[in-house]
Amino acid sequence: MAASLHIDSSSPQPIWSQIEEGLRRLVTSGSMAAGQAVPSVRDLARDLQINPATVSKAYQRLTDAGVLVVRRGEGTFVAAEPPALPQGERQRVLGSGADRYAGLALSLGASRREAVEHLQERWADLLDERKENR
Amino acid sequence: MNTTTLAPAILPASPAPIEIRELSFSYGVKEVLHRVSLVVEAGSVYALLGRNGAGKSSLIRCLLGHQPAASGRARLLGMDSWSERARALARIGVVPEEPDAPPHLDCAALEAFCADLYPSWDSTAVRRRLARFGVPLTTAFGELSKGQKSQALLALALGHSPELLILDDPTLGLDAVARRAVFDELIGELGERGTTVLFASHDMEGIERIADRVGILAAGRLFVDEPLEELRQRFRRINGSATLEPSDLEVLAPLLPQGVRTLAWGREIVVTQFDDREFAPLAARLDLAARAMSLEEIFVVLVGEDAA
Repeated sequence: MAASLHIDSSSPQPIWSQIEEGLRRLVTSGSMAAGQAVPSVRDLARDLQINPATVSKAYQRLTDAGVLVVRRGEGTFVAAEPPALPQGERQRVLGSGADRYAGLALSLGASRREAVEHLQERWADLLDERKENR
Repeated sequence: MNTTTLAPAILPASPAPIEIRELSFSYGVKEVLHRVSLVVEAGSVYALLGRNGAGKSSLIRCLLGHQPAASGRARLLGMDSWSERARALARIGVVPEEPDAPPHLDCAALEAFCADLYPSWDSTAVRRRLARFGVPLTTAFGELSKGQKSQALLALALGHSPELLILDDPTLGLDAVARRAVFDELIGELGERGTTVLFASHDMEGIERIADRVGILAAGRLFVDEPLEELRQRFRRINGSATLEPSDLEVLAPLLPQGVRTLAWGREIVVTQFDDREFAPLAARLDLAARAMSLEEIFVVLVGEDAA
């Protein structure tokens, strides 16, 4: 799995956040199935040559978000169900993701149509990936 | 009246593994460290960077009690590193810059020798580490390659399960494979025991992935001491497709431009207080792009001008 998680230490995005996003993506696309074990903090830290505390932080955030579950003594696993967020929280998370994307598109001078087209294209890609993985 | 007051549990606040306060040191009239203060928190990895001659090794020598500070003090695990040196060193692992051990002894003999010095010595773990590194047990230390010497000393430094590990550029001059092995071992150690690490290094690429906090020494002064993530967030290189004019510097003033460099393809400005909210509207108006910088690039910008 570490092969499909890439860390770019010259990116402005903190490494823990790159791991969080990368794992979230693998789970969303179905590359990592519900109930599947994720590597231990130590193994992933060694594979990526990073501080285990950094991996830990990403895992902690994903666990808090309900994407991963910790079974004591067994390890960390992809949650069985996609995390059900309370309605208000769900709106907030979607909204802040949309904010970031709209802000990025605007700062690049993209038109609304261009931005929406990219979103639709990626949406379709991710659904395809998910189908292939099921 | 019968009231019970629940006294808050009084936990002895454990001292930070490393605490250096206002430490100065001179060789004769030449001051090599000037009022350096830094704290390494438990379980963190502190990277100490600086060009050759910046004072890194002097600082480590003071910290290890090899030489007394002219003023100020250094504490290791709460103990004074000069007057309580022996007691402190028993709980610390050290890998020196120059791999130094009796050249005629092989690793098996060195390991047995150290085992006698430390009550908590773990021979099995040391031999396992040496095997992982591929360092032969029966070759005289003097005959080992530079990489093997560093690896052997790291394996020995971890033998008594120290709470604190002090590394003085252990990967200097090592090839990529040997360097990776050293980092793998360190990462394993961090994961298993949460050892606190002070790491003086020139190996920016390796350091960038494991350091929590970065200190940069130049001419004996610690002029950067902050979390790595914050350092990386505030530095950007800014380029424009159009040539940047000196007046653009004024526009970028809130981002604190560090200087303008003229390149073959235009100009480039490094800013030290990057803020995306300030930058985004400027970027659209002036057609600018901001690029994140690696620790190595940040280091060169910060200390490069002292090169002359």
